[in-house]
Amino acid sequence: MDAIDSVVDPLRDFAKDSIRLVKRCHKPDRKEFTKVAVRTAIGFVVMGFVGFFVKLIFIPINNIIVGAT
Amino acid sequence: MVGGFRVIHLVRPFLAFLPEVQSPERKIPFREKVIYTVISLFIFLVCSQLPLYGIHSTTGADPFYWMRVILASSRGTVMELGITPIVTSGMVMQLLAGSKIIEIDNNVREDRALLNGAQKLLGILIAVGQAVAYVLSGMYGSVGELGVGNAILIIVQLCFAAIIVLCLDELLQKGYGLGSGISLFIATNICESIIWKAFSPTTINSGRGAQFEGAVIALFHLLITRTDKVRALREAFFRQNLPNVTNLHATVLIFLIVIYFQGFRVVLPVRSKNARGQRGSYPIKLFYTSNMPIILQSALVSNIYFISQILYRKFGGNFLVNLIGTWKESEYSGQSIPVGGIAYYITAPSSLAEMATHPFHALFYLVFMLAACALFSKTWIEVSGSSAKDVARQLREQQMVMPGHRDSNLQKELNRYIPTAAAFGGLCIGALTVLADLMGAIGSGTGILLAVTIIYQYFETFEKEKASELGFFGL
Repeated sequence: MDAIDSVVDPLRDFAKDSIRLVKRCHKPDRKEFTKVAVRTAIGFVVMGFVGFFVKLIFIPINNIIVGAT
Repeated sequence: MVGGFRVIHLVRPFLAFLPEVQSPERKIPFREKVIYTVISLFIFLVCSQLPLYGIHSTTGADPFYWMRVILASSRGTVMELGITPIVTSGMVMQLLAGSKIIEIDNNVREDRALLNGAQKLLGILIAVGQAVAYVLSGMYGSVGELGVGNAILIIVQLCFAAIIVLCLDELLQKGYGLGSGISLFIATNICESIIWKAFSPTTINSGRGAQFEGAVIALFHLLITRTDKVRALREAFFRQNLPNVTNLHATVLIFLIVIYFQGFRVVLPVRSKNARGQRGSYPIKLFYTSNMPIILQSALVSNIYFISQILYRKFGGNFLVNLIGTWKESEYSGQSIPVGGIAYYITAPSSLAEMATHPFHALFYLVFMLAACALFSKTWIEVSGSSAKDVARQLREQQMVMPGHRDSNLQKELNRYIPTAAAFGGLCIGALTVLADLMGAIGSGTGILLAVTIIYQYFETFEKEKASELGFFGL
């Protein structure tokens, strides 16, 4: 049982600490969440489409380059 | 050891030869920073699309398939190495300095310069080593086919691109741009990958004729061209082996969950010691180490895969080699996939159905994922200088105290939250990654987490820059 205790005890302590941490946490409300979600989504889409269009443009260019060699 | 001699001094002779970006002589306005950042991004993206000159083929199985998402690397292009050299050298130097193998006093200007020089030098060496390994391993066709001239040419191209990435990152870090180049390149690579899978106009032939790769394009195409609308809809939502609309929904869901958890934080009140006694707060986020656990975990898994594949290819029958992993060619993607050994058990099950039929694999993977992320996260705070002790020292240097606590208790109070936030945050990161992969989110759980946390950080940087800009004008 000592072996099991040496594994279980730290895990139990960790679980208790984690629960206390989550309770203590400030959690985002709807307004805050929406604001961050919209901003991050915009950033995501902007970055994604910048990469997307560069790739789109380079497909024909690469066909020309690779075709020439 | 000679008195005063330190390992870091070995770098001194090389400093003169390393490419360096000069620190800006004046404060760069916010708008110029944005411009520099965008230009850097474009340079990176263009390099990611330029094909390597002189390669014979890239049709063989890609041993780095698993790594590419987090290393911003593109197969068969100038940016084949991606950010590997810079990330690897950064991590190595961080580990060496953090674990005191190399003594660094961050208050000494020369030490900081030497550290930067060492990191850059190491990055270049890694780039050379990696480029040579790629060529010799036959990634681009055997050396016999390539010829020595082309082989050297390929190595030069790869190294040159790696140096460009090094310089771009330094440019941004030195204050010309926003945030770090590494984060920018990773995030863009992932976002591009996801958008591409949603809107790609390329077609792929399957049993039912040509289909668009992009999930959204395919949805509209199927609805327009099929007479049986219900069946078309079902195919768009659930088709196999290509991105589908369900994958898109899963991606969006994971995106929202990550953003929600990003907002979790313990806010500790702090007060300045000086005359004005201004109040503030020190937030400790649930995701204390951000996306670092997932990067480290992915790097670990990728290296296991890489080593396992090489060993399997050469010594396929050996017991130990099979224990590490056995591989076979996938019917669909042409990639090797692990089917046995440790490599198999640390691979995500491909579906819920597979989880049900192989419960031990599912359980092992889950435990490995959560434990690895938690442990990496907890370890990282020590080596990256963000442990309770380090934070306490920083706050003291800034003359900050916590109301109601004596100076000596500051570290103890921080110790109640920081290690737990790191470990539990890492655990949550691991869980989210598993969830994302099981739901079939596009770009992999790893990728989405990286992209969202990086973009989130960018907006935080954005706001700080704008605030200081306005403050500057306000003076």
